[in-house]
Amino acid sequence: MAHVWPIGGGKGGSGKSFITSSLGRLSAELGKKTLIIDLDLGAANLHTLAGVPDPEKGFSDFIRKKIPLLEDTVVTTPCANLFLISGAHDNFDIANLPYEQKLKTLRAIAKLDFDRILLDLGAGTSFNTLDFFLISQNGIFITTPEPTSVENVYRLIRSIYFRRIRYCFNVTDFNELEVEAERQFGDGSFNKPDNLMKVIARTNPKKYAQLNNEFSAFRFKLIINQVRKHDNAALGLQMSRMIEKHLGLNLEFLGNVAYDEHVHDAICQQVSFLERYPYTKTASDLHELGKQIVESAGEQLTLRYL
Amino acid sequence: MRKDFDQLNYYEMLDITPNAVPYEIRHAYNAALQLYHPGSLVSYSFFSERERREILALIEKAYQTLINDQLRQEYDDELIRRGEIEARDESAPEVKKPVSVFHISRSPYVRTVFVDGDALKNRISQSQVIKDILARNELSGEDLKQIRTELGLTVEQIAEETKIRVNHIRSIEGGQAQQLPPTVFLKGFVKSYLKCLGLESVEELSVRYMNTVSGLK
Ligand SMILES: Nc1ncnc2c1ncn2[C@@H]1O[C@H](COP(=O)(O)OP(=O)(O)O)[C@@H](O)[C@H]1O
Ligand SMILES: [Mg+2]
Repeated sequence: MAHVWPIGGGKGGSGKSFITSSLGRLSAELGKKTLIIDLDLGAANLHTLAGVPDPEKGFSDFIRKKIPLLEDTVVTTPCANLFLISGAHDNFDIANLPYEQKLKTLRAIAKLDFDRILLDLGAGTSFNTLDFFLISQNGIFITTPEPTSVENVYRLIRSIYFRRIRYCFNVTDFNELEVEAERQFGDGSFNKPDNLMKVIARTNPKKYAQLNNEFSAFRFKLIINQVRKHDNAALGLQMSRMIEKHLGLNLEFLGNVAYDEHVHDAICQQVSFLERYPYTKTASDLHELGKQIVESAGEQLTLRYL
Repeated sequence: MRKDFDQLNYYEMLDITPNAVPYEIRHAYNAALQLYHPGSLVSYSFFSERERREILALIEKAYQTLINDQLRQEYDDELIRRGEIEARDESAPEVKKPVSVFHISRSPYVRTVFVDGDALKNRISQSQVIKDILARNELSGEDLKQIRTELGLTVEQIAEETKIRVNHIRSIEGGQAQQLPPTVFLKGFVKSYLKCLGLESVEELSVRYMNTVSGLK
């Protein structure tokens, strides 16, 4: 089964698509049959970054049932070993994907025959985005060293945490849980997954243990992109500390990617940044990350709850 | 179950072990302030204002307690009573490990490279180059640089260890009169530098250096 790496967070422009395409390419070059899927449907541009300006088919053909099998929507890219499911020609938001379609898609992704699958999820926190994040233990959050972007990553992490708890309960029980959390902790606590967990620990130890197990199996990752010379290089480690200490979730800092004007140049010239500017700090940062993607091992799909 | 911040003991709050020395406590305190102070990017949007205030107050309390010998003793006794830490066994023999010149601190926040004095002394005693330099009547900036290089130390490591700015260290090694730090500081700087290199008779060597460079003036 493929290793699936959902990539999201930050906000538009933080570099999710650039990093997805770069890591996809590196993984392919290192010998893994790699697929990148563009699920940032409202703002799809992974195809452009992957060197396929006008893909002949894509994800929408699967959703609109023009192509029955997801694997048949895959197109090749100029890079050997690197494949793409494009999100171009889609004018609906992933947030609006109906429940049945989503399940169908998630199951289809899990069955695809690749070594590595990278999902470009965009920046939103719609339920659907959260669910795509939750299909793997290796979700990657990307942020830039800016308050707005950091804020969005924290929000996304909390939303995912919350969403996973939500799955464990039916509507009535969950409502009760929210009421109880608000009663005990006040202050908008029904929105805080860590407070919900505290209530569950007392009211439903069995569910608590089960959730706890699940959360400790998650290995979320963090990449800080567009790091400039004077930025705090330790931000990533410190953020992962925060998440562990205050939410009890694992968030592994994978590394910084330096800011470089040439990224813009490469995108404008429609050439691969890694190929055109291989000796930049940014390229070597990406290589470091690429190695980690390739060296990852073990079981990591978590479709059980769907 | 994961403990809330206010349920952690002071050591856990600051991410240090119960046998941390004052230097580490101060360091951890500063690192914690970096995370939680109101302008920190790391915790931006993570806490409400009230939560942040509470955390900062706890960190302050933790620091003030642990940095004060008497308060710390009392606090430790309390933790021992609660069974959270074990009574310290003062007589426990130190485990001897092979020494390397550098100890990399594995704290999640910083990588500080400490210079290991014993290993340096070892190297000094084995280096003919250093012996020759020390046998002379003069000690120039160039000589210091040579000793440093011979020991495999960088200017940055010296700076980190002595807290002397990198450009001062470069000037000391450059030995050019115009660029040297003011004389009132210079001697102190040179002594710390020499000590950091692991050299003996620092006082005498610093006088030798001062005489050598003042001859240039
Ligand atoms: N490491 C980087 N250095 C410089 N510019 C970058 C870097 N990463 C991304 N960019 C710039 O940010 C823009 C947005 O990147 P993109 O991957 O499309 O963001 P997202 O998918 O998160 O919306 C790119 O067009 C590029 O110009
Ligand atoms: Mg994008």
